Amino acid sequence: MKVPGYVAVLVLSALILTSCGGGSGVTLGKKIALLVPDSTNALKIRSYFEANVTQVCSNCEVLYSAAKTDAEQQTQATTAISGGASVIVLDPLHGDAAAAIVTQAKAAHIPVISYERLVLNTPDLSYYVSFDRESAGGLLAGSLITAMGSKTNPTIVEIDGDPSDTNTKAFKQSALTVLDGKVKFGAQFDTPGATAANAKAEMLSALANLNFKVDGVLAASDGLAGAAIATMKGKVRPWPPVEGQGADLAAIQRIVTGDQHSTLYMSTKAEAEAAAQLAYDLAFGVTVPASLSGGKTVNNGTADIPSVLLMPVVVTKVNIESTVVQDGFWSADEICTSQIASACAAAGIA
Amino acid sequence: MAHVEAPELPPDPTAAVDAAAVELPPGIVAQSLGEYVRGYIGRIRGGQSGVLPVVVGLVAIMVVFEVISPNHVFLSAGNLVNLFQQSAVFMVLAMAEIFVLLLGEIDLSAGYVGACGAVIGVQLVQPVTTNWPWWAAIAAALAFCAVAGALQGTIITRLGIPSFVVTLAGFLIFNGVMLILLLLGPFSGYPNLGANSSNVQVLYNLMAGNIDPTVSWIGMAVIVAGLGAVLWLGDSRRRRSGLVAPPASLTLIKIAAIAAAGITVVGISNINRANIGTLAGVPWVVPIVLAVLGVWTVLLGNTQFGRYIYAIGGNPEAARRAGINVALIRTLAFALCSTTAGVGGLLYASYIGGMSNNVQGGQLVLFAVAAAVIGGTSLFGGRGKAMHGVLGGLVIGGIYNGMYLQGLDVQRIFIVTGLVLLAAVTIDALSRRASAP
Repeated sequence: MKVPGYVAVLVLSALILTSCGGGSGVTLGKKIALLVPDSTNALKIRSYFEANVTQVCSNCEVLYSAAKTDAEQQTQATTAISGGASVIVLDPLHGDAAAAIVTQAKAAHIPVISYERLVLNTPDLSYYVSFDRESAGGLLAGSLITAMGSKTNPTIVEIDGDPSDTNTKAFKQSALTVLDGKVKFGAQFDTPGATAANAKAEMLSALANLNFKVDGVLAASDGLAGAAIATMKGKVRPWPPVEGQGADLAAIQRIVTGDQHSTLYMSTKAEAEAAAQLAYDLAFGVTVPASLSGGKTVNNGTADIPSVLLMPVVVTKVNIESTVVQDGFWSADEICTSQIASACAAAGIA
Repeated sequence: MAHVEAPELPPDPTAAVDAAAVELPPGIVAQSLGEYVRGYIGRIRGGQSGVLPVVVGLVAIMVVFEVISPNHVFLSAGNLVNLFQQSAVFMVLAMAEIFVLLLGEIDLSAGYVGACGAVIGVQLVQPVTTNWPWWAAIAAALAFCAVAGALQGTIITRLGIPSFVVTLAGFLIFNGVMLILLLLGPFSGYPNLGANSSNVQVLYNLMAGNIDPTVSWIGMAVIVAGLGAVLWLGDSRRRRSGLVAPPASLTLIKIAAIAAAGITVVGISNINRANIGTLAGVPWVVPIVLAVLGVWTVLLGNTQFGRYIYAIGGNPEAARRAGINVALIRTLAFALCSTTAGVGGLLYASYIGGMSNNVQGGQLVLFAVAAAVIGGTSLFGGRGKAMHGVLGGLVIGGIYNGMYLQGLDVQRIFIVTGLVLLAAVTIDALSRRASAP
């Protein structure tokens, strides 16, 4: 009796419910799936993305899901597919482990936009939206040269990320194209694990070798820049310009107080907006304007994926207000704690 | 389990059947369909509700999510097939845990042991390294799991250490082993099943591959005919020999139900699931899960080994005095648990198209135990069936799927899953109290 009872009820309820759940033929807005890793940034991405989608298509719906594991993301993707998504915007937890999602979406004829991180080893990706990370080193190096002004052959220290990180190599090459011939490298380090502790040790040895004379510091991230600054505090005079990357809250605060010269801001808002625009175009079959990608592609190991690569913005004291604050990336209240209130007022942040 | 006499009740001709039915499955005592139904109701009243609560729960989940899901997509063909695929890992891991839950034990390591098996399988088929044939890779993966389970089982039974502690150690050890295995080969920690080789694609298609619709129908027909013949011939032989056997009408109803289930599953799967183009057919994962279910159901229900498991789970001391080699059976149960977890791990790898380091082995185990208990298996040992794992896995998968369709975050899903689990263990505890002497 157990099996019959279970099956009978199941079949019956399936029949009843599918019959009344059929499509009524009303023209509905499309559904756009946004699948991201669960992180503090995820909700920012969601709000920017949704705001932009509803702006261009008021009755469109964003199916948002955040995942902690690859399997969870897979479940969210297949649910989005059967839930009727017209396009999937996917920020994979791991670029290496998300090709299956793209393959399954392709089988259901749903285009996939790889967001922020590139899904590797699949020819079925429609687009890739991210930042032009290869130019990051050059942008920061340019900012450093500007900050050091007319000094001839200044001595700089460069602190790079983990040697096994593919970004590290690109950062170094890009920075070198700008710095080559213009500066003297007092020291250059790869930082295992990109940890603050290792960066401090590196900076300490560099200071000893250079007799505490440093004209500028180029760090591959705000975390590394913070470690370099902490090490130099009270030991180096005059204070050199320090460059970092990531627009971390602590880095923005250091820029306000003058400890750090600039950071690179990769606007979550701009990135989410570009992805939302692209998703809308793909969902409604609108031809994607050529200007969006500019004909750029990035190879993911299997194919050249048409790519929208946004340029990171150099943030110094003068444009904190017009970049991170205006985007809502960090609010003035978050930046201007009571300790740095006067510096904030001087920099015109409110 | 003695029964309290109730002399003040008026005499009832069915009282004897009702009383016996509480202890015996209705199929054994009933001589007609009416008696069977009465016996079944008697068992439910006596606290032996079996799969009834989970079936009711499953129907409730389906109704609720179908009503509230956007455009009522929950019961669409595409989503039902998804639902099964999403639940498959939970189902198989739950069936794994049932072996040890029946003994009143637990295996916390199953998630990572299964994940180790999965990594081994995925690594061995890589064309640029070992390039093993898929069947050999699967065999090696399952063999590893079997050995891992047998080792833990041996420590638990021979040294008398609680399974909770031994498998907690295993949980940590196999988490580490998995990470080491992941880093082997030139894949920077993410060996995947995306390679363009038919050998690798076999593993990839365990979960996502579809059987051709026509072949699906034929296969289903063969399986239903085979099962029906076995059921009918078995029961009629018992009837001819004068042994206790369910009434013929009941056997026919069972066969009809299996046929109806087969037609429903294949029918739903053969509906085109793609927005554009064609995507139809029964996914391979369906027969795989059904095969695990079938084999373990027969092993537990129709073999001496199965009877020993239930005997030990019910009362280990009595089982030992009856001459059962308790240590051997318990060790085997742990080995079978881990081997089944290996099947679950391979399905997991197939699901995400490779293996990566963020497998949450602890959460998988807890969901597996939750699925088994939600399905009707007792945490206290002695009561449970492989079917419970499948039903409980569907409940958990259904909650996930339905709540994702609503766009709800994982934190709410955890809360709902927790409440369902709480309801299930409450039913388990209450039914134990009701059936206590």
